[in-house]
Amino acid sequence: MNDTRRTRAVLGVLIVAALVLITVDYRGGENSPLRGLRDVGAAVFGPVERASAAVVRPVGNAFDAITDAPDQRRRAERLERENQRLREQVRANALDAGRSKQLDQLLHTAGIGGYKIVAAQVISAGQGFEDTVTLDVGSSSGIRRDMTVMSAAGLVGRVTRVGPATATVLLATDAASSVGARLEDSKEIGIVQGRGRRGLGDGGSTPIKFQLLDANAPLRVGQRLVTLGSQGDSPYVPGVPIGTVERIDRPEGGLSRAAMVRPFVRFTSLDVVAVVVAPPKSDPRDAVLPPRPAPPPTAAPSPGASGTPAPHRQQGKKQKAKRKTEG
Amino acid sequence: MLNAPEPSATGRHLTAALVLVVALVLQVSVANRLPLPGGVTPDLVLLTVVALALVYGSLTGVVVGFCAGLASDIIPPADHTIGRYALVYCLIGYLCGMAATEMDRRSVVPFVAVAVGALAGTLLYAITGMLLGDPRASWTIVARMVPLQVFYDVVASPFVVWAVLRVTRRYERADKGARHDRFTLPAAKYRAMSSRGTGL
Repeated sequence: MNDTRRTRAVLGVLIVAALVLITVDYRGGENSPLRGLRDVGAAVFGPVERASAAVVRPVGNAFDAITDAPDQRRRAERLERENQRLREQVRANALDAGRSKQLDQLLHTAGIGGYKIVAAQVISAGQGFEDTVTLDVGSSSGIRRDMTVMSAAGLVGRVTRVGPATATVLLATDAASSVGARLEDSKEIGIVQGRGRRGLGDGGSTPIKFQLLDANAPLRVGQRLVTLGSQGDSPYVPGVPIGTVERIDRPEGGLSRAAMVRPFVRFTSLDVVAVVVAPPKSDPRDAVLPPRPAPPPTAAPSPGASGTPAPHRQQGKKQKAKRKTEG
Repeated sequence: MLNAPEPSATGRHLTAALVLVVALVLQVSVANRLPLPGGVTPDLVLLTVVALALVYGSLTGVVVGFCAGLASDIIPPADHTIGRYALVYCLIGYLCGMAATEMDRRSVVPFVAVAVGALAGTLLYAITGMLLGDPRASWTIVARMVPLQVFYDVVASPFVVWAVLRVTRRYERADKGARHDRFTLPAAKYRAMSSRGTGL
């Protein structure tokens, strides 16, 4: 262009400005003087994001339905074709019905744990390396910093920033997130850390890593994790389900043992979530965990057994198996 | 239009600002939520900056890049050090603006510029993260993300560049009303080339 000198001057000035911003914000850390700038961002872009989410949501759900289809077909071959077509139809036609079901489940989960919640919807997600989302609730709904965010399935993350009508959530899968966790049915505690943007670990199935503080404590594949609860129940309330231990890393002479965890929450398709605005009166311990998954059901239950309650049937199966091994 | 006496300055600023805001909102509320394989999403804002810089030249590219970056730094779900995207996009805007002058000669330039811009932008952002000791920009994460990110950016680039061109062209048409004006700017040349250059 003709005025390169002017362009270079502008470039220089703006680079210096960016470097100053980075320095000030980095040195300031949590109390950075530039926090105000983010508040401005939340005030300006928050309403725009809310509006655009309302417009865009049906589109996104349709996309979800399309991308989920092959996945589900692969995962559940035994599901009949018709069943799936119906499900997709339901998903496409009755978006609101699905949402109300999610809300129901959410209330159910929160009810077991005794959490007081504010339901919210995810309206946008973070860019680059960070795993963050924006919710459509803010300080006007009583949301404050460092509140736990959960879904019907389990832990989602914590609130890091609150605008007038929006709140930013740091997901548990973010590399900068670490949560105190406890193994179910035991007192063994450890730290759950995110493994980076939307779970790059193991093709996205285990986006969370669990580090057991006591290297000698028993740790098995299939054990489940709940939040330990932070001091003063902030940022994390106790008893929120996190996930299942999927793979245990061989110790490499470290002081702690690590395991890869499959979270209960599907972080790639977050929609209805809840912010815990008041912690439970007492630690719910393992109460919020979903019931243990039953052993994989046989292809077609015999008509005679259909009337008997489930536990009996399981016992019968076990006895049968025993008899088989004995004989 | 109201800004008839000075169409090329105010008008282009308004257009650029509008395009940027739309790109930003689409980025956070649509693109970042797409469940794409690998968990990585195309960076529409970076592509928009590249496209605007190619159309309007390096001075606008620098300013647009800085503004887009600062907005990306403060738009709600953002949780990194403020100024990182401002720095990166500002530099990318400058570099791609430089390429705008080359564009008169070769029709491949826009496509190369978009790819190089995507690669350089993603890498620079990762490097600033590493310099600041950001746990998210650790080597394992960067090594897995950057190639995919660049791939998605390149795949998404024709659509973004096309959309940006459509918008800027519409503005020019509405403003000047004359068709022969389209070929006076290097931008118009790019348009002509890019429409014919898809076949290469």
